[in-house]
Amino acid sequence: MLRLIAVRLLAAVPVLLVVSLVSFGLTLLVPGDMAAELAGPSATAADIARLRESLGLDQPLLGRMLAWYAGLAQGDLGRSVLLNQGVGAAILERLPVTLSLAFLGLGVACAIGIPAGLIAAKNVRRWPDQATMGASLIGLSLPDFWLGLLLIWVVGVKLQWLPTGGFIPLSEDPLGWLRSVAMPAGTLALTQLGPIARMTRSAALEVASSDFIRTARAKGLSEIRVFARHVLAGALVPILTVAGIGFGLSLGGALVIEQVFSLPGVGRLVIGSVLRRDWPVIQGGLLVIAFVFVLVNLLVDLLYLWADPRLRAQS
Amino acid sequence: MNFLRRPAFLVGLVLVGAVAIAAIAAGWIAPFDPVKNNYRYRLGAPNDLYLLGTDRYGRDVLSRILFGAGVSLRIGLAVAVLSGLAGASIGLISGWWRPADAWLMRVMDGLMAFPGLLLAIALAATLGPSEATAIVALTVAYTPRTARVMRAAVLVARALDYVEAARAVGANTVRILAKHILPACAAPLAVQQTFVFAVAILAEAVLSFVGVGPPPPQPTLGSIIADGRDTLVEAPWIALAPGTVIAMLVLGLNLLGDTLRDALDPRMRGMLR
Repeated sequence: MLRLIAVRLLAAVPVLLVVSLVSFGLTLLVPGDMAAELAGPSATAADIARLRESLGLDQPLLGRMLAWYAGLAQGDLGRSVLLNQGVGAAILERLPVTLSLAFLGLGVACAIGIPAGLIAAKNVRRWPDQATMGASLIGLSLPDFWLGLLLIWVVGVKLQWLPTGGFIPLSEDPLGWLRSVAMPAGTLALTQLGPIARMTRSAALEVASSDFIRTARAKGLSEIRVFARHVLAGALVPILTVAGIGFGLSLGGALVIEQVFSLPGVGRLVIGSVLRRDWPVIQGGLLVIAFVFVLVNLLVDLLYLWADPRLRAQS
Repeated sequence: MNFLRRPAFLVGLVLVGAVAIAAIAAGWIAPFDPVKNNYRYRLGAPNDLYLLGTDRYGRDVLSRILFGAGVSLRIGLAVAVLSGLAGASIGLISGWWRPADAWLMRVMDGLMAFPGLLLAIALAATLGPSEATAIVALTVAYTPRTARVMRAAVLVARALDYVEAARAVGANTVRILAKHILPACAAPLAVQQTFVFAVAILAEAVLSFVGVGPPPPQPTLGSIIADGRDTLVEAPWIALAPGTVIAMLVLGLNLLGDTLRDALDPRMRGMLR
């Protein structure tokens, strides 16, 4: 068991290596002089030279790379040029907003999408199946940011039920928090429902056609018992996969939805930094978001071991 | 080819075809110049002259959408083709030549650890916003998924009896790849790239929405929605209409992809891209 866990942990190492290399290499693609661009049009040559030195841009490539990894090893992601704040601190400050949005959206989407997918699988090629699949196809074809604007217009502007943007921390006012995240999380959930229902349906169909289900039927179990005991247990691993993929989609979606609802999360920070050309923040944002993604997938991998005895038996 | 007569396929074809024809004909059918300001008619509601109203510079929203749809289709198609070529090459090498497999797939895993959109936004901003960089950024973001699909297809194909037979009689590698492996992988690749086409259109809209797409005054569907966001209370029609066009395109492409896949392999019915 420990060996299995170790193998999975080790598998994450090359992925993190590629992630950190890509985040580092991003600035190599900047056309022209990065320091001059950051310093702005009014900067003097001395200002630019100072900025270049403080960013380490006067060092050779290998030196910059070593400095980048030395910083990472100490949890130092560099300094934001414009926020005058450490990148790590700036991101950590905003990460809870993004994560709570992603998990809330995913949670709601799973709570509705997984049962919907199971119902569709149970009634395959009959109307509940066709209705669910049709609705989920439409759902996954809608641009999420546009759906968010639509909700703002209907629920926020016309009906005035919920605030149109802004964020209230959970610790300050729980009800206010819920009101401020209800619409963005709802938007996210609406766009995640489709993929989750579709993946759950195909996973359940796959399990339902497997040998142990035929055996369960053959020994005379009732349909309900077959479904509740055997199909569900067998579908646990695929459903975990669904949740894992869903989290990736949800995280990516949350980054954009924050922008629409003016929530102070990592996505808004990175997109703001993109427009202000604050490279260290963009690099750090890429790195942290990918790190969270790898971490959650690792967790899903470990949960597989718990959910599927066949995987444990391999060791 | 009976899938050609399935209603879902026809609906998809009509949705994509209608938008594509309107976009190609934009130069002739657009009632106004999409970038010409008309300050006497700012934020005008839809009427007989301006069918979808005007934006805050008095530009005709319908004309802008017609030209913007063209940008979406161009970028989406380019990304589908380019990531298809890149992904197919990587997947082919990975699936056929095993020593390269572990290395290539680790790189693809690393790229897939970034949300595709975030990577594309960062790349597009780094390279400097334009139509070409949007294509490059989205191609980099979506190639790993195609490479995975291609690799899986190659692994299935190389175990087929006739491929083994070809190897046994001593056919050379290039011949086997060209005559047997590639044709066997063409179908899953085509299906995957139909979905990439759809996802790329959605992603390009986001790039434009956050301001790293093709720069103004070029109208794009995402940038029209961004304009409409600022005037959502006074002029909701600006944001409403372009989103509907994106949804039509993406839904149409998803329907085409779904029916193609079901026709190829009934067991894959309902699976995600």
